[in-house]
Amino acid sequence: MNRTVLIVGSAITIALVAVLFLGLGKDPTAINSPLVGKPAPPFALTSLGGQRFDIRQLRGKPVIVNFWATWCVPCYQEHPVLVENARTIGGDVQFLGVVFNDSEDKINAFLRERGSAYPTLLDQQGKTAIEYGVGGVPETFFINRRGVIVAKFVGPMTTEILQSNLSKALQ
Amino acid sequence: MIFLFFLLVALAPPQGRPLSGTALEQRTQEVSSLLRCPVCQGMSVADSPSTVALDMKHQVHDMLARGYTQQQILTYFVQSYGQFVLLKPENRLIWILPILILIAGAIVVVTTARKLSPPATPNPPPAAPYVDRVRELVNRD
Repeated sequence: MNRTVLIVGSAITIALVAVLFLGLGKDPTAINSPLVGKPAPPFALTSLGGQRFDIRQLRGKPVIVNFWATWCVPCYQEHPVLVENARTIGGDVQFLGVVFNDSEDKINAFLRERGSAYPTLLDQQGKTAIEYGVGGVPETFFINRRGVIVAKFVGPMTTEILQSNLSKALQ
Repeated sequence: MIFLFFLLVALAPPQGRPLSGTALEQRTQEVSSLLRCPVCQGMSVADSPSTVALDMKHQVHDMLARGYTQQQILTYFVQSYGQFVLLKPENRLIWILPILILIAGAIVVVTTARKLSPPATPNPPPAAPYVDRVRELVNRD
């Protein structure tokens, strides 16, 4: 009898410890996006230059959509990474910046000072951000050739993270 | 084709009647209070002053004005943010499951405790030589 209790108790304890151990290092506030594995919500936004940009026209090409704003400190950190990668692989992959809750003057000043290598789109009243389930910036979505979101990354982008997620979009 | 599919699902026709005026403002507040602000700690969209919450509230307002029902609006936000965005989860199992687990745990504890406690056994009758010895000692006095 004691042996049975010992085995059952040990199994429950080991399972509990395993669950807690797997949670170590994870951000408890991070929520998995329900959009991963589903078609990317379509949007048509105006770029800083006044050009209408429809994501549906990009079918057949992997797309990286980066939501950002000039008031977002981590966005300053990731901007050079995105620009550098867009200059390198921009021919094969479409980069898009979507700015929400910001002013055009500030965005223009930011891009003049820090460079630009891909279209910057204006999300009036954050409608597109809501449809992508964006909580805070920066958030980046990786969309494959068929228009399906294959990955979402929350936080400042690095080249390693970008390449790792982009490989899923290229499959 | 995939984009078209999403468009049809996300923008289903409104199933209610368009609201305006005081009724619109009141319903906006009510529906927004059912949504969790994604950048706050346990605050509803109705209560949060954050820009994301204000955008979400504006979207609720816009959808109610176009005739979308509360359920359609909640579904719209769940599609983007997941069940997390609902302050009152739709799945009732979330409320019932902890109680069921608690009851099951209590049953396991009680059953195990009963099995572990030694069975009550009657006292064995004293051995005859012992009784004789006691009687002998008592009678001596």
